Amino acid sequence: MALRELRSKAASTLWRDLRPCVSSARPNGLRHASSNPLDDLESSSSLSAPPPSNDIIKSWDPVVRTRSRKTQLPPSRYQFRSPKFYRGPLHPHQPPPPSDPSSRLFQPGPFSLPRLEQTYESTIAPDLLTMTYAHTPPGWVKPPKAQRLREWVGDSPYFKNRPLRGPRGGAHLRLLTPPRNFRTIPKLTGVTVHSMVPAAQDDSAYMHVAGMIIQAITNVRVTTHRARKSVASWGLRDKKFVSVTAKLEREDVYHFLGKLVDVVLPRIKEWKGVKGTSGDSSGNITFGLEPDVVAFFPEIEVNYDVYPPKMIPGCHITIHSTATNDRDARLLLQSIGIPFYGKMVN
Amino acid sequence: MPPSRSLFPFRPTFRPTSTSQLPQTCLLRKTFTPTSVSTLPHKPAPFSSSSKLLARKGKGDKSDPRITSIRYHLSHALTPRPLRLSRLRALRHWTIHRAWQLHRSKQRAAAELSLEKQYASMRAACEALRLIDENGMTGRNVGRLYRAAMDKTGVWDGVPIEYARCQTDFPAREGWNHGWTR
Repeated sequence: MALRELRSKAASTLWRDLRPCVSSARPNGLRHASSNPLDDLESSSSLSAPPPSNDIIKSWDPVVRTRSRKTQLPPSRYQFRSPKFYRGPLHPHQPPPPSDPSSRLFQPGPFSLPRLEQTYESTIAPDLLTMTYAHTPPGWVKPPKAQRLREWVGDSPYFKNRPLRGPRGGAHLRLLTPPRNFRTIPKLTGVTVHSMVPAAQDDSAYMHVAGMIIQAITNVRVTTHRARKSVASWGLRDKKFVSVTAKLEREDVYHFLGKLVDVVLPRIKEWKGVKGTSGDSSGNITFGLEPDVVAFFPEIEVNYDVYPPKMIPGCHITIHSTATNDRDARLLLQSIGIPFYGKMVN
Repeated sequence: MPPSRSLFPFRPTFRPTSTSQLPQTCLLRKTFTPTSVSTLPHKPAPFSSSSKLLARKGKGDKSDPRITSIRYHLSHALTPRPLRLSRLRALRHWTIHRAWQLHRSKQRAAAELSLEKQYASMRAACEALRLIDENGMTGRNVGRLYRAAMDKTGVWDGVPIEYARCQTDFPAREGWNHGWTR
């Protein structure tokens, strides 16, 4: 409320203060994506120029100058905005690369160097490389594998021009595991924290509390999801908001996993670890946390009275990595400090 | 909710500091009055003549103040508006940004180079072990070291849990309590 008033007030007062003193022939702040920003850079510093002489200072009357101007000067704001939609490679207006601050995809940062990331780069990655190194003599050629998508072989005339058959043992093609080298060491790429709150269908307070808690523990704004169809046995109703998700990237991942491994997981009573059968065989491993475990997160614990205790949700945590199978992903997570138990399924 | 202390760090972003420097005769000068003061609410006549307590008795006050405040703060995020830079400030920003990207790419290249060196030396060592038989190995020693080096037994069983300790500036001398029992 106060912020909104402040903004309008600030806009009017800023406009009042605005006294543009530079006029140029071409419109200010106009820059094409294709033009070189270095051209805008001044070659010499303005600090090295001598101050204006006394005559100029005496004769300078900004009020008269402003009054004599017919039209308002264009603002000196930097007005380049990246196009909202990509119109194809042949369109003259191309978006800047995502690393450019003017891009819509630009993410500033990183603003911190998490301990877990430092540990990964200095210790875990070299150790994983050493552990999983498999030697192939120079000149060794990998024996060719059978066709992954098989052809239809037979006398039936319908086999002609038919799309290839799917792979054996499943409907979809599994990821290929490249040979291990210094570029293919598994790495953490993201974390998805998902919390399903069916009680939110009747009382939206559950949804809001869950969103606030997930947002607090992950440092990421949550997105909400609706039930796609009614499932009577789960008590789901069509098109009702039932869950929240936070997708973590970059430094948030390391901060979140660091908290999880160092603070939260050691405090769970009788916890055996993550099930060895977890994983989608493409490098992502999921496990769940009970509501009382979610309350162990330091952000929740210091502020426990703020949340209604019955509304604290449990959550599912999916850890994404560049590993291409469960075995590699599990080894990476174990080296980070997440234990596994039971039968290991690859 | 009144403006609390939590808004304090965002005020300098919005508050113009030069109001006092404007000349008193400036026509554009306006006094800074918050909107809530200038627009006093007009109080309408009550719909029902029964007292508030009686009217509320059946429903009960269900709204938990904690939930109310959570809802308020979910919809009133204290995120400042995106930066709007003037031309030269944007250029300065761009220069620093390019330098930072360059620095990070150098760091990444250095990390990858060290991994590559490690990989190359491991590969050279394994190759030397493989070819060591030519130096007069006989009997059971033929290919023994190479076989031992290639043995992957137990590698995929995982790492011990003691391994997973984040690096610190001042690590504990005894980092793992081996004598711990319930």
